[in-house]
Amino acid sequence: MLQQDSNDDIEDVSLFDAEEETTSRPKKSKIRHPVASFFHLFFRVSAIIVYLLCELFSSSFIACMVTIILLLSCDFWAVKNVTGRLMVGLRWWNHIDEDGKSHWVFESRKASPQDSKTVSEAESRIFWLGLIACPVLWVIFAFSALFSFRVKWLAVVIMGVVLQGANLYGYIRCKVGSRKNLTSMATSYLGKQFLRQTTGDDQTS
Amino acid sequence: MAEAAESPGDPGTATPRPLMRDLKAVGKKFMHVLYPRKSNTLLRDWDLWGPLILCVTLALMLQRGSVDSEKDGGPQFAEVFVIVWFGAVTITLNSKLLGGNISFFQSLCVLGYCILPLTVAMLVCRLVLLAEPGPINFMVRLFVVIVMFAWSIVASTAFLADSQPPNRKALAVYPVFLFYFVISWMILTFTPQ
Repeated sequence: MLQQDSNDDIEDVSLFDAEEETTSRPKKSKIRHPVASFFHLFFRVSAIIVYLLCELFSSSFIACMVTIILLLSCDFWAVKNVTGRLMVGLRWWNHIDEDGKSHWVFESRKASPQDSKTVSEAESRIFWLGLIACPVLWVIFAFSALFSFRVKWLAVVIMGVVLQGANLYGYIRCKVGSRKNLTSMATSYLGKQFLRQTTGDDQTS
Repeated sequence: MAEAAESPGDPGTATPRPLMRDLKAVGKKFMHVLYPRKSNTLLRDWDLWGPLILCVTLALMLQRGSVDSEKDGGPQFAEVFVIVWFGAVTITLNSKLLGGNISFFQSLCVLGYCILPLTVAMLVCRLVLLAEPGPINFMVRLFVVIVMFAWSIVASTAFLADSQPPNRKALAVYPVFLFYFVISWMILTFTPQ
């Protein structure tokens, strides 16, 4: 409904803009799951903030460590089970079959014609930004803890790297799995273009 | 990564996983450890939330000194964490090298959940230590720790021994024995300052 209103406004202003809107598929740029987006970033960012500011918050190392562990666990569960599915339509898990063999399954939501199931740009950006930036920060913290000999923090930092890195790896595999068709399409398209160019050159020369 | 038993089907539905289901699964596994039976629950639907909770609880209870002082139990907290997780990983590697057909995370799951009796022992020991010290105090704690240690061993071998060929069972089980022995030792020798 919002889409239609904006289209109406644009039609009143200029015909050219209205044409552009209708020819290209309108990408949703509003956030459809504000709570999920908030929590996706909240747990990760607060874990990092608590780690950086622990000396100011409380003199107790234990309280900081337990808080960070709690936040990292909540973040892991939330990102793996809720925000990934709602925001970008990807999910990954481990499945043990009848023979006791373990399989890792990476799935992505198939593109459906209805608009209600498309991924919104803003949410996708928030999701990937949060997913990639935080493990990188934890790796930086790991090196800094190692080289400045604050070894007692190493356990927490390594836990941060492992948990957030696992989510990052899982979702990248989901994404890469679904993009296989896209890359083959892109290469075949480029190949055709290249062929057209060379045959065109042959004709003109 | 830490859970199994996903609902299969069209990922186009993409509904978030219910929290209550995961919490119930963790509770069910705790019950299975307390009353070990021949069942596949710990192995099929593995998760690492239980071991994490138990590890944090155990590490918190094994603190010496007051929580707010400068020299608070920071190193001991990290020490318990490292012993539990590194020990569990080592046992899992040993089991896999011996040719066991259990997966990495399943083994970690079983070993982690079977720390539950020892955590209960730690709780009881802390309560007993509130009374006056003496030989009776020590005997009570020794008895509790030995019983819970035996319980842990029985629970974990009930799940892990099946994954090994018969002539290798002892080789796979003795590191588990060592692992729980080290934890029991930490519990028994704990004295709050």
